[in-house]
Formats: sequence, structure tokens, C-alpha cells
Amino acid sequence: MIRRKRTQAAPPDGPEETFEPYEEFRRIPLPVYWIAIALAIWGAVTLWDNAQAVGVGRQERAEQIEETPAAALNSGAQIFEARCSTCHQPNAVGVRSAIPPLAGSRFVAADPAVVVQILLHGIDGPIDVGGRTFDAHMPSFASVLSDAELARVATHVRQTWGGDRQEITAAFVRVQRARFAGRGAWRGGEELARVVDPALGPQPSAGPAVISAFADPAVLRLVNQGRGEAWACSSCHGAAGQGGANIPRLAGLPEGYIVKQLQDYVTGRRRNESMQTVAGALTDAERRGLARYYSGLRAPSTAKPELGGDVSRGEQLALYGDWSRNLPACFSCHGPSGFGVAPGFPSLAAQHPAYTASQLAAWVGGGRNNSDVQLMNEVARNLSDADRRAVADYLATLPPVPAVTQERR
Amino acid sequence: MDDDAKPSPTPRDNPGKGLFARDLIYAVGGGFALFAIAAFAFDAGWLRDRKAGEADGDQDVQAAMFQPPPDSAIPDGPEGDAIRRGQAIFMNTSANASDFVGNNLSCSNCHLDGGRRANSAPMWAAWTVYPKYRSKNKQINTMEDRVKGCFTYSMNAQHSPTGGPPPPGHDVYKDLQIYMHWLATGAPTGEDMEGAGYPELEMTSAGYDPARGAQVYAANCAACHGGDGQGQYDINGRPVFPALWGPRSYNWGAGMARVNTAAGFIKANMPLGQSNRLSDQQAWDVAAYINSHERPRDPRQTGTVQEAAQKNHGGEETYYGRTYQGRLIGVGTPEPTSRARP
Repeated sequence: MIRRKRTQAAPPDGPEETFEPYEEFRRIPLPVYWIAIALAIWGAVTLWDNAQAVGVGRQERAEQIEETPAAALNSGAQIFEARCSTCHQPNAVGVRSAIPPLAGSRFVAADPAVVVQILLHGIDGPIDVGGRTFDAHMPSFASVLSDAELARVATHVRQTWGGDRQEITAAFVRVQRARFAGRGAWRGGEELARVVDPALGPQPSAGPAVISAFADPAVLRLVNQGRGEAWACSSCHGAAGQGGANIPRLAGLPEGYIVKQLQDYVTGRRRNESMQTVAGALTDAERRGLARYYSGLRAPSTAKPELGGDVSRGEQLALYGDWSRNLPACFSCHGPSGFGVAPGFPSLAAQHPAYTASQLAAWVGGGRNNSDVQLMNEVARNLSDADRRAVADYLATLPPVPAVTQERR
Repeated sequence: MDDDAKPSPTPRDNPGKGLFARDLIYAVGGGFALFAIAAFAFDAGWLRDRKAGEADGDQDVQAAMFQPPPDSAIPDGPEGDAIRRGQAIFMNTSANASDFVGNNLSCSNCHLDGGRRANSAPMWAAWTVYPKYRSKNKQINTMEDRVKGCFTYSMNAQHSPTGGPPPPGHDVYKDLQIYMHWLATGAPTGEDMEGAGYPELEMTSAGYDPARGAQVYAANCAACHGGDGQGQYDINGRPVFPALWGPRSYNWGAGMARVNTAAGFIKANMPLGQSNRLSDQQAWDVAAYINSHERPRDPRQTGTVQEAAQKNHGGEETYYGRTYQGRLIGVGTPEPTSRARP
């Protein structure tokens, strides 16, 4: 290669007959050999080293993934701590005027079907607990917990705070799961009292049903068919905006956040070849319409830990951070349970680990530079590779955000 | 190409051109070789991995200070239960001590990392200096007295369901104190500890100015605390970022309402995870901007604001009792009708 360059570097500039191929007689200078040899050694060592690392990594991941089923067999109390306490608090007192307490709640002491139905479908409307009204959005755990896990955590909650010794079985949960399969969240205490257990007593009404079907046909056409360079969103992000692998889940991301990302692809503050093409082909109104569409979508979680990260370390980072490395908790900005804080802080729950990890790498590598006050650049820089995989895998275990459309908010 | 020692076999218009090409090849090739060696050294771990951010200046400073025990070291039994209750109050004050909290703040909003973080008024350093004399109330204060002050001012207890701080001897004090006591496990008594309180910033030559602070705020704080300083809430109305002024923030009697205290806290701790990002000047200015806004009244005020300013705020760096932009500061904000998000 170097020889060819030399030939090109000295083209015959006189007439043809005076041309002499004098390079043929000149030796290649010694330093060029040294350089070539150094590069060859480096290449060989790097290839070998990479092959080793990939092998070791694969083995480690396989081992860790094998351990996961054992870790999943935890007690109801452990599931409560991991799944419920971020909102309801470890002592189940809730959060004033936001999250209802479980201790002494009529919902916990009622028919066992009530707790199980709430866990399976979530709640989306006002409920009365202890004389106070909470108008909150609880996620559905149907896609992230098995029947056996739901049974254990429901039993724990009812035994600890409902005063009922009866055990809820996985079979009971299975029946409850089939009972209202495919329905959305419960629309407040009034619907639960009417459909599941009248003993819940008078409950506040959720008001008239909101039309949840998204009406704008132009936006739906973009989502499903696309237009020219604006390829159909669903062709990569899935029919329900659920994403997959390194393609992000869009369902439930804040509207303002999605609009900003699309703009940032255009300005180059965020880089991705496909998305730059697509975002550039959309008008401002279309970006807003799509953001509105996806922000209100609820889709079951399709994310699973897949990077072999240490999920308990990931949980630690998400809930408490690691101040010895100058890392604040993820949830101190992205909200409890990683549900996000509109408009600036996206929901992280149920996001695909490969995507989360790739973004954390992009904050460091410069592929993404659109964080306010460089918050994410700093965080990503302080995360080790193992921590990135750990936190990405943990976030994939969380229930999806109970997305709220602007109308319902 | 052409060597000076050997005359060129062909007549050349520009013999310098070849020399340049050779130099270029050497330079680029040498560069590649150096890069390869360095990359190899980096891979093999001979160089320190900067990516993982192992050694930021601030982390070194933090690591050199007292290290409180981790949560996993909380003992079992009744004492451990009380420590956990105290920790729960500390982290989620408005729910676990709801009768005595009149705003949307928690202890952990200003004492970061659950009261562990050095230079963020850590509890392990506070525990060892009480009881002590405080000029704020001109008497010896026990830790209970001190915590009562936190509820009265920082948690704005006057607008709480009971209208005041926990009564003397209340379990809230006991649980919080045993949590602090446990955090201070192994800490020396009666010694000044490094990382105690908030750092004291020296006044800059330019002084502080809310107008300059407004720009600092917009660039560094508004993303989290909101352009209007009222914090931000999640979909369930749960506070994620605390309000910095207005009816759901600390009142005029709180230490954080002083410009110098806020400046020290901000410099050392804000934006979260980016200690010392702001210059001293920026910290002073933005603290002045935040604390020149109205907030709940000082509960000690009995007469006029000016009288209260003289009696309780003499010699302080505060906007309380001053007139700024034609407005008397310190008159207070109305009691919120609901404790939910605005």
C-alpha cells in the first residue's frame, strides 16, 4: 500500500519517453518497515485480545443469566421492597397527596381479588383511602411479574398491612389474570367497587370516560405507512411503540421529550443516521403529532435483562446512586420508578437494555450531546462499563410507565 | 523522493515535493505507530482508565473524609427498626412526619445522600457537635432543639396539619436522632470534622446580584427546578425536584434563606453530581436570585417585617426586610390550599 502511494506521489510529469521508473531501484526506507511491523503486531494483539474478551464476556453473561431464575424465587417481602417500596415506601405509608398508603387501606383488606386485580392492571383514577382521595396512576405488573411472584407479593401485602392470614396462590392469580384479560387500568376506586368488590364502599367517580382512540389519521399514516424518507415509525419501533434490542421503546415517553429528540437529530446534537433521515423529513407539526401519539401509548413491557449486568447493583444505582463515584440516583431526576418527569426527563422503565447501554456510551463518545447542563454526559462518564450494563438491565425489569395523555393529565 | 546525496535521475521541476511526501509518510506512519503503542498500553491497563472517572478531584476529597456506615450495616432488632424509621423520615419527611411538614420538602433535599454527603451538612458531623450554643436562639441547643428548628423553618411547620413542629420528646425526634447517631458511628466527639456543614464562600469583589443570578439560574438550574422555581412533579404529583421559593419551599427563618448559606450549598452540591461546576461568583449570584423571591413568612415575626428583620436577621446576608425592585421582601406567601402540585 505504501509502495503504491509512492508511485502515485511521483507521477511522470515530463513527456512519456523521458520517464524512468526510478523507484524500482530505491529501497524502502527502514523506518517504514518498522512502522509496518509495529502496526501488524498491534493489529494481531488487538484481534487476539478482543477474541478473548468476547469469549470471557459471553461466558460471564451465560453464568449470570443462569443465576437469574434462582434470584427470581424471592419472597413476597423482597418483591415488595424491589417493586412496590419506591412508591408506596418501605413502611407502606405512601407519599402525601400522591401515593396512597397500604397500611390500613380498605383496598388491601378487601377481597383478595382486589389487590391482585390492581397489581395486574394498575389504577388510573381517583381512589379514597382513609378518607383522603388519591388520583394517581399505578402501573400494570402483568408483563413483568409471573403468577407465582404476584401471588407472593399480594400475600405479603395482605398479611402485613391487611391483617389477613390467608395465602394467595399462583392458581388464584392465574384465574384473575384470565378474568379481565386485555383490559386497561382500573378507572379508579369506583370501577373496582362496582366490578370486583362492592365492600370497598363509596368511591370517588372517575368522571366521564375519555376517548382513548387517537384520532389524527395523518399521524397514524406516518406511524404505519410512512411517507418517502419518513419511514413508517412502526417498522422499527413496533406496532405499539414497544421497540426492541437497541431500538428504543417510545410508548409513554414525555411528549416534549420526543419533540426535542426529533429536533436534535436535525440539528446534529443527537446522532443516528436513520433517525436523522426520518426526523429531517418531518414537519414541525408532524413531530408534535407523533410525540403526542407515542406519549399517550400504553404497551406491555417487552424488555428483559439481556446484558448480563448485576441487577442488584443496577437497582442500587437507580435508587440511591453511588456518591463515591459522584453518581446521583437515576430516579432523583427521572422520577420514582423511572417513570420520567415531563417534559425534560424521559421515562426509563421497561426500556430495552441494549438501547439504554448504547445511549450511555453515546453520552461519553459524543454521539449524543443534547442533555441539559450536560447532566447525562457527567453521569455516563462516571459509570463503568459493568455499571452501564447493570443499570440498563435493572431498568428493563420495571413495569412500563402508566402513560397519561394530555387530556387525562 | 530525491535524496540530496544522489542526484535525481530525472530532471525535476520541484525536488522539494518529493521530500515533503517522504516526510509526510514518516510523520503519518510514526503517528500511527505511536497511536498503536498507546492504544496497546491503554488496553493492557498500563494507563489509568479515565473513562470510568475514577479520580475526579471532588471524589478524592470526599473519599478522604469520614465514611459513615452503609445501609447494610443497620443492626437488627428494635434499635435497627428505629434507625430505619429515622431514615424513612429523613428521606420522605412529608409522608413519615406528615403532621409537622408544611411544604413539599424532605431532609434529604439539602442533606444529600441521606445525610451522608460531605459538604452537604452531613448528619455524622452534626451529631458530634450537639449540644451547643447557638446565636440563633441564644441558648444551649440539644439535637432535639436543633431538629425542631429544621421543622419550624426549613419544613415550614406553621402550615402543617398541626401548625407546628413535633412537641418535645416526640418519636420523630427519637427516630431521627438514632439515625444520625448511627451515621456517626466511629466519628470523633468534640473535634471539627472535615466536610461538616456547607462550605463558606468568601464574598467576591463584585458582590452578589440577583439579575446576574437569573442568567445562571436559567442556564444551570431551571432544567430541574423549573423556570418558575416551583420544582417538578411526576405523573402522580409526587415532588421530584424541590421548590426553591414560593409557598411550597422553606420559609424565611430557614438557614437556606440566607444568601451565604445557599451559595455554599450550591457551590458544593449543585447541579446534582457536578460539584464545583459553578464559580464562586455564579454561586453567590444564583443564591441571591433564589433568595430574593418571596417564600413563607418567618414564624418568629410578631410585629412588622422590619422589626422581625432587626430582631432575628441582624447582620445576616439576607433579603428579608429589604426592599428589592420596589417590593418589601419577607411578607410571606399565602398558606397553600392543597399540598399537591401547584
